Amino acid sequence: MNKRVLGVLLFLAFGLARLPLDHAMTMNLREKGLKEAPPTVSWQEDFGQMFLATLGGLRSLVASVGFLEAYSAWERNDWGAVDNRMTLVTRMQPYEPTYWDEASWHMAYNAASYFKRDKSLRAAIQNKLFKDHVQRGLEILNEGLRYLPENRRLLEALGYIYKDRQPDPERAATAFIEAHKNGSLDFIERLGAYELVKVGDRASSAQAYEILKRYYDRGPPFTKMESIQRDLRILENRLNIPADKRIPAAPAPASTTSPRPMLRNTNP
Amino acid sequence: MSTVIATPVKTRAHKGFSPGRIWTLATHTATQLLRMRIVAFLAVFCLVALGAAFFFPQLSPEQQLKQLKDWSMGSMLVASVVFSITATALLLPKDLEDRTLYTILSKPVPRYEYLLGKLLGMLLLLFCGLLLMDLIFSVVLWLKQQALLSAMIAMLEQQQAATPENVAYVEASIRKYGLNSGVHVEVWMVFLRASVVTAMTLLISTFASTTLFTIITSMAFTIAGFGVALMREWVLKGLYGWTEKTVGALLAILCPDLGMFDLSTAAIRGEVTLGVVGQLTGYAAMYVAAYMVVSHLFFVEKEL
Repeated sequence: MNKRVLGVLLFLAFGLARLPLDHAMTMNLREKGLKEAPPTVSWQEDFGQMFLATLGGLRSLVASVGFLEAYSAWERNDWGAVDNRMTLVTRMQPYEPTYWDEASWHMAYNAASYFKRDKSLRAAIQNKLFKDHVQRGLEILNEGLRYLPENRRLLEALGYIYKDRQPDPERAATAFIEAHKNGSLDFIERLGAYELVKVGDRASSAQAYEILKRYYDRGPPFTKMESIQRDLRILENRLNIPADKRIPAAPAPASTTSPRPMLRNTNP
Repeated sequence: MSTVIATPVKTRAHKGFSPGRIWTLATHTATQLLRMRIVAFLAVFCLVALGAAFFFPQLSPEQQLKQLKDWSMGSMLVASVVFSITATALLLPKDLEDRTLYTILSKPVPRYEYLLGKLLGMLLLLFCGLLLMDLIFSVVLWLKQQALLSAMIAMLEQQQAATPENVAYVEASIRKYGLNSGVHVEVWMVFLRASVVTAMTLLISTFASTTLFTIITSMAFTIAGFGVALMREWVLKGLYGWTEKTVGALLAILCPDLGMFDLSTAAIRGEVTLGVVGQLTGYAAMYVAAYMVVSHLFFVEKEL
């Protein structure tokens, strides 16, 4: 047989033979969490752009360019463009927590505050736009948590939004405590406890008491923290903790000014 | 009358396969390419990309490190692929033009040794180039990481919040995006990808009539190769018609799956094990071996 023909046949045979191998290896790497699945695009999104950007190792580079574009749109206060660019960025690298965090921060904090301060809008519109953008920030984080369900950074960000932007102490507490379970600093667990105190029901109060008492029992500096002392006292009253198990009463604040001289000892 | 006794001339038996000959061809190829100043151009390209990373806006420390990494790795990838295609496409035509090919093949050098020598020379140059880039990049990344860490600790001290817990937290988050083994894994993946592209270009150049044809065809196969996984995922399994499915299947058979070597996200997290690196190295070696066998079949028939 002509060697060229043999070459063509071998080349095609190799291509056919490696198809199942390629597929198996891709699936294996995906199962190990080492490879990302192609971005899930809907036809409403820019399919062509997504396709181009999915080309091999250029995904992270394209995400990086998109991120810089979002940064420049942020400087112009072009919130639609920021959201659009950050959506592309998070689609390109869905397993990168900093992108989800940044995208949500832009919407829930920067854009929401911008509209809240925009005096050219009527108050009702200001409030609506504020709420809409905070909600968008939450949606972004929840989407990110579908890819990275145990990511402490995203859980912390979620907790902060429920604490400061769309107050919901129960959800904030859940997010903070979950974040702490996944490696966040102890401070985040205490934040969760402070939120549980705000919830007010017995179960939440008991959980908050358990957390704050645990830190208090460690000694200084926790025994001196005003927030811990304040909330523990509230919880002791709420949970009817026996007097002997309560934390010591706060000493009266030492006065730095000399007592006012009594002008009269008795009433006229 | 004196008699001249002829001493038998010692001749070394000719070997069918000689690593020494291949090495000679490989080093010659590397020197030949170095003289073409291709590497100097690529070095400038990479340095410009690396320098550009420092002119990004002042983002969070993690983002600054990530941007630096993404841009540097991206430029390494583009540079290595462009270098692999253009340099390999020039190899055979240059040897034909200079007539060195006839000098080599007129000696008892089998054609497969010539091809192997060319491939090895290219890979040697690619490896050394990427190693150099890796070294430069690692130093730059480490310096940037240290600078950011110092700035963050200074900021915490200024805010009177530099507790051991906070400092450890900042250090851990910056190190995660800084210099770690993942960086070298990514560079190795760039090398594997470039090796496959080199072997593919060499294969095309064995039957191509012009250098331009080799470059354009290789470029097209490379771009398609980056999207093969996507093709398998969307076209072959999706709700597409017969024509789209046929074109998709053909592309999946003809083009190498270059997207397989994209482990950038996992490499940042430092989760790529040696086993996976070995597996992907074997995968690349499989492509190179298969392409070289086919290249030989084409080259052995080529009329020079």
